Amino acid sequence: MKRLILAVTALGIAWCQPRYDLVIKKGHVLDPGSGIDGVMDIAVANGKIARVAANIPAAEAKKTIDAEGLYVTPGLIDLHAHVFGYSGSLRPDDSALPAGTTTIVDAGGAGWRTFDEMLETVIKPAKTRVLSLINIVGHGMVGSAFEDNTADMEPEKTAAKIIERRSYIVGIKTAHFGGAGWTAIDRAIAAGNQAKVPVMVDDKILTLSGRTSKEKLLSRLRPGDMHTHVFNDRQLEVVDRFSGKVQPYMLEARARGVLFDLGHGGGSFLWPVASKATAQGFYPDTISTDLHSSSIMMAESDMPNCISKMLNLGMPLKDAILRSTASPAKAIGMYPEIGSLGEGRVADIAIFRLKKGVFAFKDAWGHKNLMPQKLECVLTVRAGAEVFDLEGRGYPEWDKAGKYEVIP
Amino acid sequence: MKKLLLAALLLPVAGQDIYDLLLKNGHVIDPKNKRNERMDIAIHRGRVAKVGRGIPASHGRRVVDLSDYMVTPGLIDLHGHYGASGVNPEHNSLRAGVTTVVDAGSASASTFEAFKSKVIAHSKTRVLAFLNSEPDRDAALQVAAKYPEIIVGLWGTGGGKLPAMGDSAAGLRPGDLLTNSYGRKAPALAEARSKGILIDSGELWFRIGSPAVKQGMLPDTISTGMTPESLLLPRAMMTNVMSKFLAMGMTPEQILERVTVAPAKAIRRTDIGSIEEGGVADLAVLELRTGSFALLDAGHAKMTAGKEFRAVLTIRNGAVVWDSEGLSLTDWRNAGPYSNYK
Repeated sequence: MKRLILAVTALGIAWCQPRYDLVIKKGHVLDPGSGIDGVMDIAVANGKIARVAANIPAAEAKKTIDAEGLYVTPGLIDLHAHVFGYSGSLRPDDSALPAGTTTIVDAGGAGWRTFDEMLETVIKPAKTRVLSLINIVGHGMVGSAFEDNTADMEPEKTAAKIIERRSYIVGIKTAHFGGAGWTAIDRAIAAGNQAKVPVMVDDKILTLSGRTSKEKLLSRLRPGDMHTHVFNDRQLEVVDRFSGKVQPYMLEARARGVLFDLGHGGGSFLWPVASKATAQGFYPDTISTDLHSSSIMMAESDMPNCISKMLNLGMPLKDAILRSTASPAKAIGMYPEIGSLGEGRVADIAIFRLKKGVFAFKDAWGHKNLMPQKLECVLTVRAGAEVFDLEGRGYPEWDKAGKYEVIP
Repeated sequence: MKKLLLAALLLPVAGQDIYDLLLKNGHVIDPKNKRNERMDIAIHRGRVAKVGRGIPASHGRRVVDLSDYMVTPGLIDLHGHYGASGVNPEHNSLRAGVTTVVDAGSASASTFEAFKSKVIAHSKTRVLAFLNSEPDRDAALQVAAKYPEIIVGLWGTGGGKLPAMGDSAAGLRPGDLLTNSYGRKAPALAEARSKGILIDSGELWFRIGSPAVKQGMLPDTISTGMTPESLLLPRAMMTNVMSKFLAMGMTPEQILERVTVAPAKAIRRTDIGSIEEGGVADLAVLELRTGSFALLDAGHAKMTAGKEFRAVLTIRNGAVVWDSEGLSLTDWRNAGPYSNYK
């Protein structure tokens, strides 16, 4: 009899066991890649998105988080950041997760000689998903003595490393090349052709470089390649300096499939350039930070900051989220594996508040612009686990939290 | 005499009171010097040149009006982890008004040189260290003697002439620091205090800290105990931790003393933690915001508060390194023609 009661009780418990680990309730879900734009609930089970629907009962969840009045999006993808090799590198978790960024693409920190070190010391220990655009320079982004050395730009060895580590390396970066001519870009593209991955270009057009924006965009880059630092007119002459008009070759390049990435950083988001270009409807295809130790300070250019700047320059929120989730995922061939809240996908989720008020936004040259909207990250979920919770939405008040030995 | 000469070199000579940066009308709270009033602070060549009332705005190359804010010495965080498996000592500190951090035992005698070249040398924040007494205390004391400017004590016990910091009171002497005092280990604070051991905050659970503070067991120094974990969920940055002690019943003055002069004294540094003419210009500009704020502790519980500290501007070595409101910056429309932009 006693056994029977026990068995029935056990069955009862199993029966009542909530099937979801977490339900985020009543948030305005914005998943532009999937075409979702409305108030909905999101259920998470076993680290994956289990269901996106209206009115998922709280009783079916072990834990619920109220997101009323907030925006719920796929975890953001920062297509251009620095977490290895470069002298200003940050650590991924404390710079990305509080910003709602769940995937960081390190842009060129490692080359084929140093990628395995990055894998062990940065990628594997991080909670954040860290991917790599591998530098065409074998030693990676370690200063001009290396980055100007064309002898260390070896397409075969770079392509071989990409193929060996294809789940982490999503493309190639060429950056900071101080020499003349097209060697750096051409070798990066040669490696891209061999490994069948896109190239991201950071390329200053110095007086004696022998390179022009037009040739770079129309004759060298392939459709699907990305030019970062789009609002740095030492890299790309986006607008004509005399007429202020967006250059025809920018539109032509976009039409042939070249992608333009924001890459804010410490020198590449300038109010005069960005204002002129966006006033004519020329916005970046992907929003990224180029976050490093200096740009995270005065410019505060994390993902919510970059998105806020775009909103205030007239980009609709839905578009800005698209260009921070599905668009970068597509650019590196990973959509909808990331950048989507599709059922069955890894549960990388960000929750934001769109604040209204007076906010100072600063460009890469330390000049401000007072603007009325600011996106603030409130909560971040990575692979189903809460990793950032600004307001303790997922946690009880301390005086109702039970005995102190017990972590609820 | 040497100090006087230095001061004479750094200060503008009489009749040439021109300053790189002039902070006007802030509510200066400088506990060591008992300043708690509206004052101006002039900064020149990385040093505080003058503190007083009515310094003419026309004497500043850059003038910042701080009427709405408090100005304090740059904050000192006595307990954080900045080694290879720790956190970044720059943006996690400077953005919270902290200009000096002390690493709690990430480096030992044998790894200190690497810590110095990889972390300290690259950081705008002043990084000091409690050197780990393990595995070799004698070696640690030798390294400490070699770098008195950086190593302010030992992590663990037995700092010799220097203070030690540990998270267990066993073996601590008067003047040593007990940390994680309101954390899950819940050490016996009254007993430690009766022995002259200083109580540093570090890890915090409201269920332990709140009753302790109510019973008058205030910390001697307030630190974050920052780790990669605590930085994310409890959001253990300094202004957040200060807000927690405010919510538990301490006054802003009590808190500001325990993040400036008190930690400076505990590590026997007289050059930081206060605002001195001729001294290094490390300053924090803080705001006490009113609203509804939820603060999360290390025990995964929250406390809802009506006030919150926020750092709006941080000055390190005379340079503005953090300015969330852009108070010291020019609007881009007034930044000159584009060709002169930079």
